[in-house]
Amino acid sequence: MSRTWIIVTEEKPVAALAAAARALGKTVAAVVVGPRALADAAALAGPDEVTWIDAGQDRGVEAFAAPVAGLIAGDAPKAVLAGASPESRVLAGRVAATMSASLVPGVLSLSMAEDRIVMDRSGLDGRVIETLEAAGPVVAIYAGDDIPAATERSGAGAAVTPLVAEGVADIVIEKTEPAAGADAGITKAQVVVSVGRGLRKKEDLSIIRDLASAVGGEIGCSMPVADDLGWVEKDRYVGRSGQHIAPRLYIAVGIQGAPQHLEGIRGARIVVGINNDPEAPIFKASDYGIVGDLYEVVPALLTALCN
Amino acid sequence: MKTVIVYKWARNPEDAAVRADGTVDWRNARMTAGEDDFAALEAARAIAPEGELIGLTIGDGDASWALARGVLQAVAVTDAAPLADNAATAAIIAAAIRRIGGVDAVVIGDSEEYSGVPVALAGLLGWPAVAHATSAEAAGGRIRVVRKQGRNDQTISLATPAVISIAAASPEKKVPGMKELLAARKRPITRQTLADIDAAGPDGVTTKGTRLPDGAAARLFDGDPANAARQLVAALRDEGVL
Ligand SMILES: Cc1cc2nc3c(=O)[nH]c(=O)nc-3n(C[C@H](O)[C@H](O)[C@H](O)COP(=O)(O)OP(=O)(O)OC[C@H]3O[C@@H](n4cnc5c(N)ncnc54)[C@H](O)[C@@H]3O)c2cc1C
Repeated sequence: MSRTWIIVTEEKPVAALAAAARALGKTVAAVVVGPRALADAAALAGPDEVTWIDAGQDRGVEAFAAPVAGLIAGDAPKAVLAGASPESRVLAGRVAATMSASLVPGVLSLSMAEDRIVMDRSGLDGRVIETLEAAGPVVAIYAGDDIPAATERSGAGAAVTPLVAEGVADIVIEKTEPAAGADAGITKAQVVVSVGRGLRKKEDLSIIRDLASAVGGEIGCSMPVADDLGWVEKDRYVGRSGQHIAPRLYIAVGIQGAPQHLEGIRGARIVVGINNDPEAPIFKASDYGIVGDLYEVVPALLTALCN
Repeated sequence: MKTVIVYKWARNPEDAAVRADGTVDWRNARMTAGEDDFAALEAARAIAPEGELIGLTIGDGDASWALARGVLQAVAVTDAAPLADNAATAAIIAAAIRRIGGVDAVVIGDSEEYSGVPVALAGLLGWPAVAHATSAEAAGGRIRVVRKQGRNDQTISLATPAVISIAAASPEKKVPGMKELLAARKRPITRQTLADIDAAGPDGVTTKGTRLPDGAAARLFDGDPANAARQLVAALRDEGVL
């Protein structure tokens, strides 16, 4: 079998992409669009070969879709993997179109069955895993967990070959500035106690505050608590359109666990759900949970923490 | 700027029930627009004046969704459905856009479930694209979008024709009332079939079934709150997170 290609525009998923690609066949080739430092980091994270396209300072990474597609399609691989970032996805879309390949998002793992590619993908906001089979070549948008690059690798990693890109599109980054609330306390907190619409009134926030201080954490919340109710500052709500946080401990109190909320805590190590509905989706995303009324559970936790 | 707003009308995945054996029960799922589609429409409106905006949907759902939100005309490819192969879905949309002709901008919701569709569409059209933007506007014959990247907001300018996919930041705040729904009925919908637009739409990907995700279930404590709280605190101390 020929190479399996991976498309790299950020460092985070490279090791996982390379490992998933490795499961399919012999040689893993990476195309990296970005600064040299990214190519060097990618070379240490698992691929056998690295082709590097320098994106320069103010071109969008997406501007290099055509040269990336030309490079990969020219090799006629059976499978290509890309990370799920918006930039990687745009490159993946062009590659799929150029190769007349199928494009599948949300892919967790790939394997070969005879000459067909079999994929597990996450569906329905992570509620099911769907197994898919592709007859022809596939471009997979990889959504599995990131893994740390192996630090014990011998040697200097893959060689990096620069490629001078042609056919660069007119996509220009005009400015980059910190998003509102980017430096809010919650973004760096190791412990976050987050509250949802299970709280009945604003005054009751005091028990949540007490719990936060008892565990040395910051207060967070679901979107409606900040947006619709205005009980907590907007830069503290967690989720797709709010803060993306990675605390050591996340305690969700009276939060349903909507998929948009959970998007904000993918990096959390331990998640605790407190909800009076045993069927609440938050428990599916939790390591620990207490099924009960938060007005009884939170005071009980305060007592237990004192001992 | 002639702009096409692409919207999806499909079964709402939030309504699908997952059975204990991992199979999916769609019986109670309502047809709904994608949750990012209204934000995409807002962005499309910021790019193009009313007269230059065209709605495009595939499938046999209610194509008047966009018409009830101020779009004056829409095209529906009625016998097409979203496919597991996002490139195949995109090929249908691309064929419809070519058929509309002279399009400067395509704006489409960036749904998580079908996150390959907007980018495959851009690839098939061969147009520059930015995915996951939160807003867009026309600026000097170009399109300017804002996108969240990590903890930054990035402002990006693209030459046209271009494809922009938009992620909604919240649920739709103002849904159309009776007046808008009635106005929508008078607006034209051009219904086409895959054959009309020369789109074969073969699905290169077949599903072999679904199962429940593995991964350990949460350890749940219930019953007496004081007891449950003690057990939880002990567990968290064992984990070393307290
Ligand atoms: C495009 C889009 C983007 C979005 N982005 C975000 C986002 O970034 N962040 C976000 O959070 N949401 C976001 N949402 C909204 C999201 O879909 C949910 O509506 C929201 O997260 C629900 O908030 P909640 O869980 O606090 O409230 P609810 O859904 O009302 O849930 C309240 C929960 O509290 C429980 N409860 C009630 N009383 C008690 C009690 N006494 N004791 C214990 N438990 C109790 C209930 O069982 C329930 O599970 C977004 C939505 C859309 C469409």
